[in-house]
Amino acid sequence: MALNLVVCLKQIPNPDLQFQIAPDGKDIKRDSLNYKLNGADEYALEEAVRIKEKNGGRVVALTLGPKRVEPMLREALAKGADEAVRVSLDDPAAFDVGRNARILAATIKTLPYDLVLTGVQSDDYGNSATGGLVAGLLGLPHASVVTRVAVRSGGLEVACELEGGLERVYSLPLPALLTIQFGANTPRYAPLPAIMKAARQPIKEVDPEALGLTGWDSVPLPYSFDVVGLAPPSAKGHAEMVTGPVADQAKRLAQLLREKGFVRR
Amino acid sequence: MAGGVLIIAEHLDGRVAPSTLELIAAAGRLPIDRHTVQLAVLGHRVQEIARHLSGYAVDVLLADDPALAEYTGGAYVQAVRSLIESARPRIVLIAHTAQGYDLGPALAGAMDLPLVTNCLALTLDGDRLVALRRILNEKVQMEVEIRSSRPIVVTMRPGATPPSGTGRGMMSVTEVPVSIDPTAPRATFVRTERPEVTDIDLSSADVIVSAGRGIQKKENLALVEAFAKAIGGVVGASRPLTDMEWLPKTRQVGQSGKTVRPKLYVACGISGAMQHLAGMKDAGLIIAINTDPTAPIFEVAHYGFTANVLELLPAVVKELKGG
Repeated sequence: MALNLVVCLKQIPNPDLQFQIAPDGKDIKRDSLNYKLNGADEYALEEAVRIKEKNGGRVVALTLGPKRVEPMLREALAKGADEAVRVSLDDPAAFDVGRNARILAATIKTLPYDLVLTGVQSDDYGNSATGGLVAGLLGLPHASVVTRVAVRSGGLEVACELEGGLERVYSLPLPALLTIQFGANTPRYAPLPAIMKAARQPIKEVDPEALGLTGWDSVPLPYSFDVVGLAPPSAKGHAEMVTGPVADQAKRLAQLLREKGFVRR
Repeated sequence: MAGGVLIIAEHLDGRVAPSTLELIAAAGRLPIDRHTVQLAVLGHRVQEIARHLSGYAVDVLLADDPALAEYTGGAYVQAVRSLIESARPRIVLIAHTAQGYDLGPALAGAMDLPLVTNCLALTLDGDRLVALRRILNEKVQMEVEIRSSRPIVVTMRPGATPPSGTGRGMMSVTEVPVSIDPTAPRATFVRTERPEVTDIDLSSADVIVSAGRGIQKKENLALVEAFAKAIGGVVGASRPLTDMEWLPKTRQVGQSGKTVRPKLYVACGISGAMQHLAGMKDAGLIIAINTDPTAPIFEVAHYGFTANVLELLPAVVKELKGG
């Protein structure tokens, strides 16, 4: 059963970096960040490509963001997506997940789709909300934190991870939406010829007019959203820190383990 | 009853999730009449859970329907929708658990409601809800403000609010009918799978030494194992290591793995993502080793060592043997 697959990808600043707050306190400083494909979305992309390879079909990689997201879309093309779509939302921070999801849902409506995939969460904002919102907005059955997907006649069987290692298995009719968990598969590396080919493939751009909007600020929302401010985290508590040469730290750690009774000698 | 808080309880196998008691406490901190806080228990034959929760000084709404016997996003969204339409709350509180972030966003999408997720704290000031969140690997905190005339769906991070205690008086349990359209396309529950236990049980260990991405290579696990052996501990891991299959899934500490409370927990090269901290923050003594002094693991650790874990572990094993 050939499937039209749409995988929603997000480009995020590498979360291992250190971050500074912008002077206006409403965003981080973005001038010297390096960006990458969100971790869970790598697994969502791989799952989409595997479903296509097994069942036939087509994968559209969809994202929203400024021009800088294009290398991420080319990476998706090189890894097996057939088409790349960039919604030209030029807000570098795009903090309001509700607005992002409404724009994504409106864009997905313009595409043929049987199955929409997202990562379970983004490692930058950690909302775990885009997939569920899109499912609700489009009226699609959905399942979250998915670790296994099997295509059955006319539908899907999926395993969803819960806390403590439990899993719930669900069956879903199509069309549907799934949010894919980290580690659901082993993402592939793009072969060099595919990278070369992807560099020449066109990227489709979606502007507000294509969705019947006069601008990205005119997305109809049932609320107003404002960033009050960003700050370094207020430490709840903090460890007593041990610094200095490794040999000294080793002595201190050994002494500590003895003091606390974890080592007899 | 309009204008209050509607809490959605979470339960599994007849047990209430600890996060539900945290939601009751979080609702209690908002500047609203406590009689406008209601807690919804959804399920089938869950009267006992409803009665139990009414002992936490909240009025309980019981939505009993065979379609709610096992959690499914579709049926829950339909049931909560009818509760919201009758209770007309200002805020719908849901835990940011695997089940909660399946439900909350889908509910907000289906009903076209405002949503803010994974919150640490809330303040309510007139029509203005301000939510405190953490972003970018816990390195930045952020306050966002939502204003709306519609109910705001909020998910709260587990562990962020101290849970509510019992003994503040039994309140009422009211059975409320909910309408669930059995023909609406939705996920249907097939079965629950439980992990087979064939490995050591981390949750009964007194001493756990956990490895994270900072150990860089699978071969370096030997250093962690040698140190664990020297202090009579067992080896655990953060999620990235079990995802890469350097260690079996049974060794994973964190929200999606084991929650542990050993006497000693040593975190080796673990930065301390929220999902990991949730599984180990209540250990008796926490020692963290990480070269990044700003890593969030140091917020829950009692002692922090900034040496490279690959150099410090062999050195401390030598100290312990020679000492």
